[in-house]
Amino acid sequence: MLNVARLTVGYGRVTVLDGISMEAGRFGNVGLFGPNGHGKTTLLRAVSGLLKPRGGAVQFDGEDITGLTPRAIVGKGLIHVPQGNTLFPDLTIADCLALGAYSSRARPHEAANREKVLKLFPKLRERWRQRVRTLSGGERQMVSIGTALMSHPKLLILDEPTLGLAPKIKDELCKSVLDISKSGVPLIVVEQDVEFLLELTKHLYFVNHGQVETEIKPGENLAHSDIMAMYFGH
Amino acid sequence: MNTAADILFGGLFQGSLYAMMAVGLALVWTTIGVFNFSHGVFMMLGAYLAWQFVALGFPAYVAFPLAVALMAGVGWLLQATVVRPLIGRANLVLVVVITTLAAGSLIENGALVIWGPRSKQVPPLLEGNITLGGIGVSLHQIAIIVITPIILAALWAFLNRTRLGLALRAVAQNEDASRLVGLNVTALYALAFGIAAALAALAGIFLGGYRFMTPVMGADPLLKALIVVVFGGISSISGPIFAAYVIGFFEAICSYYFGLYWTPALLFAALILTLMVKPEGLFTRSGRGFA
Repeated sequence: MLNVARLTVGYGRVTVLDGISMEAGRFGNVGLFGPNGHGKTTLLRAVSGLLKPRGGAVQFDGEDITGLTPRAIVGKGLIHVPQGNTLFPDLTIADCLALGAYSSRARPHEAANREKVLKLFPKLRERWRQRVRTLSGGERQMVSIGTALMSHPKLLILDEPTLGLAPKIKDELCKSVLDISKSGVPLIVVEQDVEFLLELTKHLYFVNHGQVETEIKPGENLAHSDIMAMYFGH
Repeated sequence: MNTAADILFGGLFQGSLYAMMAVGLALVWTTIGVFNFSHGVFMMLGAYLAWQFVALGFPAYVAFPLAVALMAGVGWLLQATVVRPLIGRANLVLVVVITTLAAGSLIENGALVIWGPRSKQVPPLLEGNITLGGIGVSLHQIAIIVITPIILAALWAFLNRTRLGLALRAVAQNEDASRLVGLNVTALYALAFGIAAALAALAGIFLGGYRFMTPVMGADPLLKALIVVVFGGISSISGPIFAAYVIGFFEAICSYYFGLYWTPALLFAALILTLMVKPEGLFTRSGRGFA
């Protein structure tokens, strides 16, 4: 479904991703993990068009989407929830969800998707007219993910959805992410919590130094100690 | 009776003018995050275009909308040439101050070359005078007092009740997130600038209908608009609108009781005091700032 081939991305004179390749969709969900500052977020930003790659190619649903605008990519159903629930601080939840359905592809499904989102996150209904800046971190993340679901995703990218959340809220949110996956939306998830990733998928990439250092495909067993070894060396 | 009427009328009139001058500036600030220092020149150019169309023989009800529409195009053009190419720079705000000042200066001198320094006047929105509550007022001023709230309400409804307005407000708050829901950020910037320039043109036509116009007529309103926007709080449209009327009434009261010469000093004193107590502006919630 998504195919990233030898992608090179950088900021100014710094190269962050040096020919990274990965694919998503063949084995269901995909998990990305690895130390901070090694290119996971940059990879996602390049895939969704926020950054222009210097080389390589991105294919989505059989089409070349390299270098397209984020708007065009959203129009194809590839939806990205960025890291850190910054969103739109002065919009209400109702506004945010309406914005999610802005693209012409998503608009016909607006009412149905809204019901889905509110079923998934009933808390959002209670705070429907509240501004995002007045919400808790967990609620903001719900709005972020809800807004993305309003965009009627064919493939949904979540960049560290549980970052900075209290353990109890985090568990709730993880459950919701699993529900989204069960509802038939394939996911690409960046997470530091590999246990959660393993619950979600058997297809993982360990990203280090702007490269995929290890790809773990379904059927290949992975012990906790292997992950520790990846993070900390041998 | 006369006192109350004087203050009420003066406050409403000045407030309407200030609101009209400031709202475009506020719109550009809230959506693009830059101060457009050619906003005053937009007012001047709008007034001159209106004058030109009237001079060409168009009736005012054709000439004025034509000038306003044309100015929307000028706003778009200015945005495309001296603002959009700079977006993404670290020191965007300062750079745009310089580029819009420069563009404004070019337009101002262009107007001087084309139309000359002799002062002109556009026809008033409505001819004639009436006596209201014991004071004589022109129908032009009454028209401004009536039209301005309608336009501001329409702008408010556009921003808060339509999908496109929602998109404009969203772009103001988070550009990346706006891109990721599929908004065309470039087009929205152009739209904001276009609307702002059109509103400036209307303010210019208001001014040109009761004062003489010169190519430098925009400088003073720009300063006033900046004061209004800073006073009202720069993170929303409604803040500056309320502030415009507050300042209008403040000036009306001051000039009635203390005289015209004291009014600017008192206004700035009030401004300084306000900003010391409420640095984010009079009508802005003391939020935690944009995350």
